[in-house]
Amino acid sequence: MTPPNYATDPNSGSEKINLSQSADPRRVLADRVEQMYSQMPLGIAGSLIISIIAAYELREGRYVEIVIFWAGLVVLLAAASTGLYWSYRKTATKASEAVQWMRWLAISALANGATWGFAGAVFFPSHADEQQVFLAFLLAGMVAGGVPIYAISWPVYALYAAGIVFPFTYVLGNFGNRLFAEIALLVPAFYAMNVGVAWRLNQVFNAGYRLRHAYGKLTEDYTALNRQLEQQLVELEEARRQVEASGRKLALFAERSPIAVFELDAGGKVLSVNPAAENLFGFTFAEMSGHPGTEFMFPGEFKAEIEARWRQFVDERKPIFGLRYNNTRRDGSEVICEWNLTPLVNPENQVVSVIIQGRDITQQLEAERIKQEFTSTLSHELRTPLTSIIGSLQLINSGVMGDIEKDILELTTIAERNGQRLLDLINDILDVEKIESGKLTLMLEAVELGELVAESLTLNRAYAERFKVRFATAGELSSVSANADRKRTLQVMTNLLSNAAKFSTEGTAVEVTVENTGGETVRISVHDTGPGIPENFRSRIFGRFAQADMSHTRQIGGTGLGLSICKRLVEMMGGRIGFSDRAGGGTTFWFELPKHD
Amino acid sequence: MPAQPLNRICYVEDDEDIQKIVRMSLERIGKMTVDVVSDPMTAIERMISFKPELVMLDWMMPGMDGPTLFRKMRDTPETRDLPVVFITAKASEREQNELRALGAAGTILKPFSPKDLPGQLRAIWEALP
Repeated sequence: MTPPNYATDPNSGSEKINLSQSADPRRVLADRVEQMYSQMPLGIAGSLIISIIAAYELREGRYVEIVIFWAGLVVLLAAASTGLYWSYRKTATKASEAVQWMRWLAISALANGATWGFAGAVFFPSHADEQQVFLAFLLAGMVAGGVPIYAISWPVYALYAAGIVFPFTYVLGNFGNRLFAEIALLVPAFYAMNVGVAWRLNQVFNAGYRLRHAYGKLTEDYTALNRQLEQQLVELEEARRQVEASGRKLALFAERSPIAVFELDAGGKVLSVNPAAENLFGFTFAEMSGHPGTEFMFPGEFKAEIEARWRQFVDERKPIFGLRYNNTRRDGSEVICEWNLTPLVNPENQVVSVIIQGRDITQQLEAERIKQEFTSTLSHELRTPLTSIIGSLQLINSGVMGDIEKDILELTTIAERNGQRLLDLINDILDVEKIESGKLTLMLEAVELGELVAESLTLNRAYAERFKVRFATAGELSSVSANADRKRTLQVMTNLLSNAAKFSTEGTAVEVTVENTGGETVRISVHDTGPGIPENFRSRIFGRFAQADMSHTRQIGGTGLGLSICKRLVEMMGGRIGFSDRAGGGTTFWFELPKHD
Repeated sequence: MPAQPLNRICYVEDDEDIQKIVRMSLERIGKMTVDVVSDPMTAIERMISFKPELVMLDWMMPGMDGPTLFRKMRDTPETRDLPVVFITAKASEREQNELRALGAAGTILKPFSPKDLPGQLRAIWEALP
């Protein structure tokens, strides 16, 4: 809704409203027409009564027939005027065709005036002196009486009065009487004065109507504004309710949250806390409120350092996540907490307050430590007996202990292979654990990839032999270097090669290529001749314990951890890993590593 | 590279099974002379009498762990210059790097392959200055 637009006086320098200009002139005209038609019955009735009196007075004389004719004319005109009046009352076009209705009124006024002018012109010369005085008085009265009736539109009045005055003036002028001739000179002057008065009255009426309309419009606009304000008030109320509801919800989140939440002012003083914060540190809100948060959370010797850090944080106004601190509780015990700090900044870029969320991770860290110790011990305790088992079997199977029976050799070979499988599983689990706990550190260096691929093919030759496939390089191995961890890149290669060997058709070749992608990376691809990756397995192939078909697990072997480890290792080295179908069957597994400059 | 090929090896290890496997591997495949020591506390005396060309130390042993024994060897004039190879199931990469910084000639991770062990030791031996 657009606000009302009032015309303003450009020179006033203020928002002073010029009311007369804000009224719609068409509506002012329609109102004037309406007013004039509403006065018509009075005019018609007056005209009829006066004409009856006049006819009665003028009945004695030479032209009784003319008097009767005239009276008939007046009655006819009154009837026509009444018809016009009724038409106007019934019409729906009062406002839209106001100009036309005004024209009809002007014609009616002129006809009315002319009827009386006719009376003056015809009856004045034909009657005796007393009747002449009566007639002159009557006409003067008609001219004067027309003012209140027609002055709402001065041209209508001018027409009406002209109809009376001019025929009468003509008769007076040509009467041959000097006095009458002089009066004939005065009558137009009276006419002009009356028209002047009518014009002036017209102005006054116009001003009145304009004012009325301006106020009407003002009222309309005011009502519209009021409605608009009301609507805005309703919307505001709704917004307030929503804000209040979300405020309540947020307060509830904080209240019931197991995470300690503090609100501190920019100076570090406690504004509010939730119950979890009270429980964590053992102080009530009443005790903490208005005091620096550091008083309750840190041992004395760290306060200066923490306060300096706080000032830096408030200056920078940037959120901080995952900050770890050793905090003290009321009873003096120590807890390790992880903190998130979020400054609330106003549009002027000032810190209004800081929301601090803290989590006691003491137990979590302890659990991590125990888990790590457990895996480390497990690693040692499992590897030591496996060393003996695999070692013994290898010595037997290698033939250094002398020749053994074929059946026994077959069994010891199975035992060695499965010992190796168990070892692979342990190694994979340990790798996953290391990666997950963030303990795996990489030694990034320039690794010549052609050389590395050749080495990986040699190291995994036994695998190829076991599954009766060949490892081959397709084309020249690119002599490009990657920025990578040598040992871990070999581990990725071993994984991809062993998978490719496992799944390729016997007697075929698994091909390895190294390509310079032309960008910032270099790509190593292992192309197998296997059955391809089933559709429903594609999305989780890099997940943990992923095996396409559980029957393969027994048949072919593997932990289902290899590719997930590869993915993490490649990503940790800043690269990416993926696979695509090979034209003509088989799958290509590839990984990209950042080039070494 | 040392003038003569690797022949005499002293191995300090508390696990008897692994002792036997290493001995068989080095003697039968590597054709080397091996002295296996079970108790790390007596290891230095044995080294002095056996006069090995290279020493292999287990990492975790009762009484004294491999790194401690290694440091003690460094403090003993007769064993100070002996090349030492750790054979371990435990050492993290960081610990291995530390050992190398201390002067360990190499590390072999358990489980090792007895077939390849002599070759691995010879490679370390030949890489020595």
